[in-house]
Amino acid sequence: MDMSQYRDLFVSESRGHLSAFNELIVRLEENAADREAIDELFRHAHSLKGMAATMQFDAITGLAHRMEDLLSKVRSDEFPFSPVLADLLLEGSDMLAGMVSMIENGVVQQPHPAALLEALSSFTPDQTGGADRKVTQETNTLSETPPADATPAPSQFRKTDTFKSVRVKTDTLDRLVTITGELITTRYRLTDQARRHAGAGLEEPLRQLSSLLRELRDEVFQARMLPFVFAAERFPRLVRDLARKQGKEISFQIVGKEIELDRGILEEITEPLVHILRNAVDHGMETPDDRVAAGKPFGGSITITVTRDKDHVDIVIADDGRGMNPVRLKEMAIEKGVITPEQADRLSAQATLMLVCAPGFSTADQVSDISGRGVGMDAVKTAVHALGGTLAIESEIGRGSRFTLRLPITVSIIHALLVDCCNMTIAFPVSAVSRTIELKRSDIFEENGRTVCAYEDRTIPVKSLNRLLGRAMPQGSGTVVPAVVVEIGDTAVGLLTDRLLGQQEIFVKPLGAPLSGMKALSGGAITGDGRIVFVVDASVFV
Amino acid sequence: MSATVMIVDDSLFMRNIIRGFMRDRGYSVVAEAGSGIETLKKLHEITPDIIFLDIILPDINGLELLESILKRCPLAKVVVCSSLGEETVLKKALGNGAKAFLHKPFTPEKVYEVLDSMEA
Repeated sequence: MDMSQYRDLFVSESRGHLSAFNELIVRLEENAADREAIDELFRHAHSLKGMAATMQFDAITGLAHRMEDLLSKVRSDEFPFSPVLADLLLEGSDMLAGMVSMIENGVVQQPHPAALLEALSSFTPDQTGGADRKVTQETNTLSETPPADATPAPSQFRKTDTFKSVRVKTDTLDRLVTITGELITTRYRLTDQARRHAGAGLEEPLRQLSSLLRELRDEVFQARMLPFVFAAERFPRLVRDLARKQGKEISFQIVGKEIELDRGILEEITEPLVHILRNAVDHGMETPDDRVAAGKPFGGSITITVTRDKDHVDIVIADDGRGMNPVRLKEMAIEKGVITPEQADRLSAQATLMLVCAPGFSTADQVSDISGRGVGMDAVKTAVHALGGTLAIESEIGRGSRFTLRLPITVSIIHALLVDCCNMTIAFPVSAVSRTIELKRSDIFEENGRTVCAYEDRTIPVKSLNRLLGRAMPQGSGTVVPAVVVEIGDTAVGLLTDRLLGQQEIFVKPLGAPLSGMKALSGGAITGDGRIVFVVDASVFV
Repeated sequence: MSATVMIVDDSLFMRNIIRGFMRDRGYSVVAEAGSGIETLKKLHEITPDIIFLDIILPDINGLELLESILKRCPLAKVVVCSSLGEETVLKKALGNGAKAFLHKPFTPEKVYEVLDSMEA
């Protein structure tokens, strides 16, 4: 019997077991008496062993078997769950993950981790961490072993009733979105034509078409949605490992794991979130000694909270660490030539914190090996903006920092506010617009050398969209100038336009070169009457 | 008419493997379940001739589930599946009405042998 047909399923299901396994160990480290977690751990090792044996993957079978044995002893109270045991089990889980990856990549020769197997079978509760040094090296030599923060396989699937679900390639879903997007554009074209041929009886079928298209769009997007936990399942382990390495005590929590986002957005956002988490552990969190000295609890906390609003999702990463010092941030930015001292004086609180996102800026006085690699905060900001989202930072010295990522729920088909601006049509994602206002000439005035207008209970800067887009033409000539207010964190700006055209659903496509190089543009779309509209990334104006 | 089969295992991988073996032998798999509760729910609607039952499930103890299954389908031939090392549970299961047992890892030969022994 040809067993290779079951290989993909073996790989994805094994990964599911291993990630649940890691999560349970972290859970047990918080509460070693959690019996249910022990039972579940045992069951995952057991299932993995059975699956591997069926596939005749002997190395995995052997290793999983030793881990299962060890767990059965904890289960029968032969010895308690301990940090040393947790380390050993995680070593085992990493090794297993490496072996699974090798199978996925068609590597036939499986490793024989003799030292690890020995450590597992000879484990005694009074053992100290020193004995595992050798094992750690062994795990590291396994080239295929993914680090704790390796990207999860895109092929992981949701556990569902097999009769009611099928696995679909993500390419197929992407094509469905494209086709749906084109259909929506075509619908606008039809509507436009129908208006010119009034009385042709097109209204009713068009209404029907619109409602079916809405349904189709919703279904297609629903099919692409994945719960946040898909991106976050490795975070607890990541935080734990980083914290241990630095001798920090951190309790980590994720609230809103079940909130769903588009698969593409989840994919793009995972690395930026990892970076923010690394920073929070590495720079944000104090050592236990420093915390106690500052009158804070011994252990710190980091929480990711995911909430959903109508058309966007907020992901907040909050820590109760040392916070960021705005004075120091400004000094460093001046030192590195990011801003001039004069500019520094004029920066708002929010803009000062956003300095950490300036290219080449690092808040650590020395770059540590932990957050010194990978993407910087500038890449985080770029990734968030590329998705049509926004990033806001709040921080208080001694109290901690909060990073808020506001993201659209879906990409590509968006609600947009269309505006006219020097003979071009510009689209703002509705999620990025706070309000539209109409300003009389007299509402706009100078204050401290800046052009501003009154907005709610304060004044906000006003900028000409024409000028921002590199056109020199003056803004409109009417007595009333329509403006779009864009807000990021506590900073708002009013963008003057020629005319507001209204809202429309548009299918955004990426721009090709040279347009793709323009910082303010995030994509293009075609309206029903064949006009090309440019989608702006409003955050660059704030 | 070929015998109807139900597969109870929380692993989709394992269910697929058994389903593959069954298909090659001309049996028709009429239901699958990934948990004890799902099993009992499905047994309201169907009465399979043969049930492959994994003894370790996330929600219900395998022996208890076996009892409930046989209450609903007294004629079903239940094959209890497990890994090596669970002989005590297997023995109990056989004493409580299971017709046969299967040790993981599964091979087609082992599975067919069990099926043949039950036909006889």
